Order: sequence, then C-alpha cells, then structure tokens
Amino acid sequence: MPSATLLGQALISGVLAGGMYGLLAMGLSLSWGLLRLVNLSHFALAFLSAYIVYELGTKYGVAPWWSAAMVVPVMFGVGAAQYWLFDRFHVNELASLLITFSFAVIVEAGIQIYWTADYRRFETHYSTLSFKVGPFFVPVLELVLCVVASVLAWGTWMWLRKTYVGKGLRAAAEDADIAAAYGVDHRKLAYLLSGIGAAYAGIAGTFIALIATLAPAQIWAWLGVVFAVVIIGRLGNPLGALLAGMLIGASESLAMAVLSPAWAPVVSFSVLIVILLWDPEWL
Amino acid sequence: MLLETRHLHIGYGDAPAVWDATLDVDAGEIVSVIGPNGAGKTTLINAIAGLLRCRQGDLRFDGVDMTNLKAHEFCGHGIALVPEGRRLFAKMSVEENLELGCYLQAARAARSDSLERVYALFPVLRQKRLQPAGELSGGQQQMVAIGRALMARPRIVLFDEPSLGLAPAIVDDMFDIIVRVRDDGAAVLLVEQNVLKALGIADRAYVLEQGRIVAQGVPNELLDQPHIREAYLGV
Amino acid sequence: MTNAQGLAKLGAVLGILVFAFLPVAGLPAFYDSFFYLVFFWVSLATSWAILSGFAGYFSLGHAAFFGIGMYTTATLATKFEVPVLLTLPVAAGLSALFGVTIGAVVFRLRRLRGELFALLTLSVTFVIATVILNTPIDGGAGIFMSAVPIPDLLPTPTGTIYLLGFILCLATLAIAWTVAHSRLGMGLYAIHDDEDVAEAKGVPTFKYKIAAFALSAGIAGAVGGVHALYVGFITVSGTFELTVPLFVVLMSVIGGSRHWFGPAVGATFITVLLYAFISGGEAMVGRAIVGAILILSILWLPDGLIPALKKWRVRRAVSQPHRAEVAPVVPAARPIKDRNILEVRAVTKRFGGLQALAGVDLDVREGEIVGLVGPNGSGKTTLINVISGHYPLTTGTIAVDGVQIGALPAHDIARRGVARTYQIPRPFTNMTVLENVVAAAAFGGPSRSSKEIRDEALHWIGFTGLSGKEEVLPAGLNLHERKFLELARALAAKPKLLLLDEVLSGLNPTEVDNAIQLVRAIRAQGATIVFVEHLMRAVVELSDRVAVLNEGRLFALGAPREVMRDPRVVSIYLGKAYAA
Repeated sequence: MPSATLLGQALISGVLAGGMYGLLAMGLSLSWGLLRLVNLSHFALAFLSAYIVYELGTKYGVAPWWSAAMVVPVMFGVGAAQYWLFDRFHVNELASLLITFSFAVIVEAGIQIYWTADYRRFETHYSTLSFKVGPFFVPVLELVLCVVASVLAWGTWMWLRKTYVGKGLRAAAEDADIAAAYGVDHRKLAYLLSGIGAAYAGIAGTFIALIATLAPAQIWAWLGVVFAVVIIGRLGNPLGALLAGMLIGASESLAMAVLSPAWAPVVSFSVLIVILLWDPEWL
Repeated sequence: MLLETRHLHIGYGDAPAVWDATLDVDAGEIVSVIGPNGAGKTTLINAIAGLLRCRQGDLRFDGVDMTNLKAHEFCGHGIALVPEGRRLFAKMSVEENLELGCYLQAARAARSDSLERVYALFPVLRQKRLQPAGELSGGQQQMVAIGRALMARPRIVLFDEPSLGLAPAIVDDMFDIIVRVRDDGAAVLLVEQNVLKALGIADRAYVLEQGRIVAQGVPNELLDQPHIREAYLGV
Repeated sequence: MTNAQGLAKLGAVLGILVFAFLPVAGLPAFYDSFFYLVFFWVSLATSWAILSGFAGYFSLGHAAFFGIGMYTTATLATKFEVPVLLTLPVAAGLSALFGVTIGAVVFRLRRLRGELFALLTLSVTFVIATVILNTPIDGGAGIFMSAVPIPDLLPTPTGTIYLLGFILCLATLAIAWTVAHSRLGMGLYAIHDDEDVAEAKGVPTFKYKIAAFALSAGIAGAVGGVHALYVGFITVSGTFELTVPLFVVLMSVIGGSRHWFGPAVGATFITVLLYAFISGGEAMVGRAIVGAILILSILWLPDGLIPALKKWRVRRAVSQPHRAEVAPVVPAARPIKDRNILEVRAVTKRFGGLQALAGVDLDVREGEIVGLVGPNGSGKTTLINVISGHYPLTTGTIAVDGVQIGALPAHDIARRGVARTYQIPRPFTNMTVLENVVAAAAFGGPSRSSKEIRDEALHWIGFTGLSGKEEVLPAGLNLHERKFLELARALAAKPKLLLLDEVLSGLNPTEVDNAIQLVRAIRAQGATIVFVEHLMRAVVELSDRVAVLNEGRLFALGAPREVMRDPRVVSIYLGKAYAA
C-alpha cells in the first residue's frame, strides 16, 4: 500500500488531470444532450487548435493566450458550419457520429501531412512550473486549466439555467414543436450552441498544446474516457461533465497509484457500464 | 375578425386530415370545435398554432396572413397553445415552464407581472414552482400548461382537449378557468370531445366530423341537431 | 433473368477458382498480402453487419471480439503449442460465448439501443483491452508469433495466410447470405425496423438477437485468429485500436449494412482506395480522401450503395401503381358459436399511479365481432395492448381458445393466434409491402413452406386491395393503404382472434366506406374480431355486440343499438343533461 503522501499527491494530480477530461467533455455533452448530435470530431478540433497554438508559438513566438484569442472564434465558426451541414441533411444521431468520425479522420490526416507524425512539444518557461502545498506539488498550468474549466462549466450551467436562450435550448431539446409554439427559434440557437461547443474545443486545445505532447494519433487517445465522462456527468449538463471528469481523473490516478498505471482505463469504463446497466434512464 | 380561416386543407403524415375548414373567432369570444375522436380537431388547432403547415387555404390573424410564417413566428402575433396531453417540458421546473411562455421579448418585459397573475390564478403552482413539471399531478400539469400560455400575453388561447385525462371534479374547474381567461381579455378557441361542457361555455361552436365542418351555430341550436348524436353515438 | 442469374453464378465460381489458386500463380508476395487484407476487412465488416446492420444494434465493440480471437489463437499457439488450425474454432467459440454473455445482459434492457448500445460495446472493448494488458495473457509486452509453425497448406507462409483469409471470407459471405435469406434474417430485419412490432408479430426477438450476436462475434473471433498469424506481433494498443471498429462500421454503411453483400462492397472499395494511396506514397492524403468520401456517401446514400442500386432498379421496373379498391363482398351467414375464443377475467393494468384498467371481464365467442368503445382514456387501447402481450398484466387472467396467455411474451401470444393492428400504422419501413406481409405470415401463422407463405401473403395483399404494390416500400403508400397493410399483415397470420385498433381513424369518408366493406369481408370469412373504433356509425353497423369501457371498467355490454341508446352510455358521451 502506497503512503498517504503518495495517495494525496495522486488525488491532486488526478483531479487536476480530470479538469482536462471535463473541459473536453463539456462541448460534447452540450451538443449531444441538447442537439442530439454526437460530435466525434470534437477531439480533432481540440488537437487542431493545439497544433495551431503550437505552430504560432514556436514559429512566430505568439503567446498562447493571443493564439487562443484567434483560434477560439475560428473554432466557433467551424462548429456553426458543422451544424449547417447537419441541419441541411437532417442528420440523426448515428449518422452524426459517422460523419464527425470521418471529419476527424480528415483533420488527423491534415495534421499528419503538415506537422508529420513526430511528437511535438511546446516548451514554455512556465510549462513545468509548480508550487508546493505542504508535502504536495501542484502544477501551475493544470491548476489554471482547472480554474478555466470550472469557470466555463459554471458559466455555461448558469447560462442554460438562468437565461432565456438557455431555457429555450433546454425546452427545445425536450419538445422542439412546443418550444417553437412559444417563439423559440431552435435552429438559430442550435447554431450558437454548436459554435460554443467547438469554441470549447479550441480552449481545450490551447491547454493541450501547453500541457501534452502532440501527435496526430493522440486525437483518439482520450475519446473513450471522455465519452464515459459525458455520460456519467449526464448529457447536456456542463457542470456534471466537469465533476465527472474530476471524479474519473481522481479514480484513475488512484488506481494507478494503488494497482498499476495500466489499470487506469478500467475505472472509467466500469463506472460507465455499471451506470448503463443499472439505470438506462440516466440519460 | 381576430382569427379567420378560409378553406383550410391540412394533412401531413399520419395525423387525421382536415378539408375545407372555414371558421372565425372574434375578440372576446369563446368558440368551441366539437367532434368525435379522430375527426381532425387536433390537426386543425395545431395548424392554427403554426405547428402544422396548411396545404391550401388562408389563415389570417388580426388581418395578418399567417399562411407562410414559420412555427416560431406565430406566438409573437398573440397566439398561444395549450396542447393536447399538456406537453410540458418535464425535466424543467414549473417556473421555467412558465417562463418559456414569455420567451419572446414583448412578453418577457411583463414577466413578473404575468407570473404573479398566473400564481394568483393557480396558487398551488407557487408552492411547486421549483419542482420538475413532470412530477406534478395531471390537474396541476394542466394548470402549468394554461399558465404557460397566459405568460405569452396572448390575444387568443387555443385549448386542445383540456379535460382529457383529468378527474371529473377538476374538469369543472378547468372550464371555469377557460371562462376567466376570456373574461381577462383573450379570445378562446376550444377543441373538446366533452360536448356538453364545451358547448356550455361557448358563444359559438363548430362541429367537425371526419375532417370536415358539418355544422355551426350557437350552442342551443347545435344541441338540437341530430348530427351530433349521430356522430357521437352512431344511432 | 434466369440467364443473368446463371451468368452471375458462373462468374462467382470462376472468381472463387481464380482467387483460390492465386498464391500458386507465382505473383509477388505483395499481392498475397494485399488480397488478404481485402478478405480480412470484408469478413470483419460482414460479420459486424449480421448484428448491427441486419438487426440494427449498432456496435462499436467489434474490436473486442476480433481481439479476443487474436489473443486466443496467439496464447494457445505460443504458450500451449496448440496447432494453429485447431485454435481457430476455439477463438470463434470464445468470442461467440462472449457476445452471448453480453447480449444476455444487455438485450434485457429495453432502452439500451442506438447510441447507448454503441457506447456500451465500446466500453466493453476498453475493459477487455485493459484486462488483457494487465494479465499474463499479454503482460504489456505483446506476443511474438514468430516461433509459431504456420500450417503448410501452401508452399509459402503468406500463401497459407492468404488462403485461410480467403476461406474465412467465403464462409462469412455464405453465412451472411444464408442468414439474410432465412427466417432468422427476416426476423432480424423486422427487429431493425420496429422491435416491438416484430415481437407482436411473433418474432422471438431476444433469441434472435442473441443468435445474431453469437454469429457476429464468432466470425470476428475466427478472423482475429487468422489475423494474429498475419500480424506476427500482437499488442493491445494495436489490436483494440478505436479506428478498427469505426472503419468496419463505415465500410458496412457505405456498401449497405442491411444487405448481405453490402459490407463486402464497402470494405473492398475502401481497402483498395487506402492501399492505392499507400502504395503511391500518399497514405495520409488517401485517408483524408476516404474520410471525405465517407461523409458524402452518408449524406447522399444513407442506406448504402447496394440498396441504392436496388432501389434504382426497382423504380425502373415497377409498373404504374394502381389505386387500391376492394370489391364489395356479400356477407355470408356466419354462425356465432358457443365456444369462447377470448376470456378476460378481472384484468387490471396500472402505470405508476394511473389505473388504466380497473378489473375488466369480457368474453368473446368464436365468430363474433365485438366493438370496443368508450371515451378517450377509458382503457380501450390498453386492453388491446394487454391482450396482445405488449404490456404485461398487473393482475387478472386472459385465455385465448382455452389457453392462459396472461404471462406469455408477446411473440408467443402472436403464435397462439392473436393478431393486432396499430392505430397509427407501424409497418417495417425498410421492407416492401410483400416482405411485410410475408414476415407476419411466417412468424405469426402456422409453419408452412416458404412458397405457401408467399402465396398466403399475396392472397391477403390482393384481398386488401394492395395488388400491384407488392414491391413498394411503406413510405410509398398513403395512410389509407398503410392501414390496409396493417390489416393484411394481421390477416396473413391466420389469427383465431383479430384485434383492430382504430382502423378507420384518419380516413376520408370514401376510404371509410371502403374499409367498412373490407371488415365486412373479413367477417364473412368467419374471423373473430375485437375492434376499437371511434366512428360510431361503423361500430353500430359492424358489431354483433358492443362493449363500452369507462374509466378502466366495463360499463355496458350488449347489442349495438340498445347499448348506444342506453341513457347511461349517452351520458358518458355527451354529458348528463343530454341523455334526458
């Protein structure tokens, strides 16, 4: 049995790493829960953003926050454009999954053509910065990521809950016809939401560039875990997605510390399978 | 005339079709459309609410041609629907359901005032305001559905089978409420299979049978027509 | 037609021979490897389609079954030195067993369909991968197959692997063809379109889904076993890669996953395309182009290539459809016997807090027509749903022809001679009118030869006036015709008891007259019918007796004209004052 310090450290690292799961899960959860579109290309958009941030940073010395300011609006446009396609062809859930998978394959290929399959790392002087709280190390970048993710999750949650646009979106997800009868223009809101989801991929991408090592195939690496997080956090609930992300991150990290690193994936998927079998109404 | 339909033909998918429907509703009126199940009453009211497109004919509201408007544009003109089976947003709270009624800018400005009026009309909803609407009893859900419509500050409220699935005692209350809605200034178009109740509060009524309007007039005259008996009882 | 078929058969035989002898023709080993990959993807995509395409249970976990096969063969061959050929059946069996186990749990949960099923199977893949990685099966190091003796079916090892892949591919296609043309396939297609209706028409849905899962997983396991030889070095990350199931899905969808040959077409197309770019040194451009083609084909050919071609051919071949008309039939004298066909005793049904049926007793005699009426929400349709087994009873008993059916699953009830129609027609949307009726006859009726079933189906199609529309899909029918298709499906099962749920609603007056004539004609044949109807004119005209339900109870029962004049009945319809 590892020491208490080690477990504590594992817990902290896990929760912080879970922030990334949560951030990635948010956009996916919004479009799946409220628009009934399963967007596999979310991961591809995040990595595309990461590569762009990396490129701007290493080649032109642009600071990541300035890159983010450029990338995020572009991603918003991409998300809205995707919705146009789905709307135009009346795409259902399964078809949306296949189409966005194909889209992700194209993006992956594009990344590999331009940046090659080599591992890339965006080195900054703050990328390994950390501070100490008692016996524990807290990495600064990951902490910032978690704060940003929390603000976004909470903000989006409030937006869905408190504003008329948010309520309109939730109502339309339940019964689009009746929502329309009270003036909700579902399509207009869907463009907005689809754009926001993709913009979140842009924000996640910025952090991926700073924290992770980039390789094209990494697009698929988080897919399974993030899907589990989306479901566990309940579809269409950004706060749930973040909390589930942190929960899964912490459990994975503890499983790594207690068992062995390779056992980590079992945690999230076991939770997911149990939820699906135990209460399919969860969604 | 507030609402005028001329020779409407509606029919999509598996909903019962309606042919050549011509009817009027004037401001301050309660107009009932009665007829047996499957006659096309819901089809007709959904088309007037904008949820179904008309294939032919004219649909005018306060002089505005509504025929080519999109579904979400109807509410802004002052048409609000209390749909069959209530169709609340079950996962959202009672108050959120009501707020959906004042989604549009004009109604939104009067939100707190409207909300007060709805809670005054249905005090029980104030207690339940934070509960998910899906957890309410049938009668309370119907109150939310009516409240949602009133929040839109409509000039006409379309009621689709408001008594369906409600206990008899509550049914009487519902019809009282409908009269109050009219007394507060909105016109009412009521679709009902409960003939006597529907005619009891109506100023005028239409009889719909197998997709066609087969009779119209003031309630007392209609009650004496053999048509109704035949439509409902077959003898 | 027969000429063309003969030609196709000849071509197929020649093709098989050419491919079988290709490795000994002295081509460079590159071709062995290339064709092996085509066979590999064809087998994998086809096996996926048997469950996911035919029955519509969309799995993203195909890598799991394929991976189990790979590791079974690899482990048995390296650690226990079992001859490779012997490991293949074990690999298939183990995968199939795994599929059956998952199915036995998952298929009991009604909501686990669509994307949830996809996610669940995906999760299972990850769990299996992790378990294999962390146990001695793999141990994280991977398994080298280099020491494993490859059976010398052909002079070269690549030739042998090629031949194994080829045989497996042929076997897979043969299985897919057989399933598609069997009762099992018909049932799976019906499940795909509407599982509840399939069950109500007599398809043992649970059993069939398990069978499809076993076949699908078993083939994937065998394919994995052979692939272990081809790959030579097996790792968890390489085996349980996510893009594998996704490509399998796309190949099947592009070719047409409901057709036995569709996945083969899609798999060949994409493999060749990818390979062309790889050999041209533009692998990544190729992947991107494949991605783009996939998007376009899903948007424009959502059913896949083969069905699209078939539709195009049918559209050209079909003659002008003519309107359905029913010749008037003079009702024959038709004795009502004393024997009860249906006995409903103290039946209640509760949905949560709602008491839909509060103790209903009803007997229906052989040859009788009973009209079931009552205001909205009085429990009429619920009663039909309970008798047909769509909902389980809360309490009470139901007997059909003396047999208690209250506790039986819906497909068993259908087989015991209860057929029903739906108020809103629910045809199997991807099956033609003829296929719809044939499926109902095959699963609901007595067992007969397929020729007899087809004749029976054609008879009822003619009877309901749908002749000339046999090859039309339900979407090409109007509401009136779809209602008649419902009837034809119910009649083709030769039911002892026919339950009709609002056959007339939504029809215009002429169509109603037409339908009444049809019901009269059915009656003339001596059927026992219980029908729910709102159109009172028809109820009074058609019924021998009328049962009025109100608030979940039997309120009145008797001759139509008497019952409908009963002041109590009048009052529930029109209100109290009216009755006076």
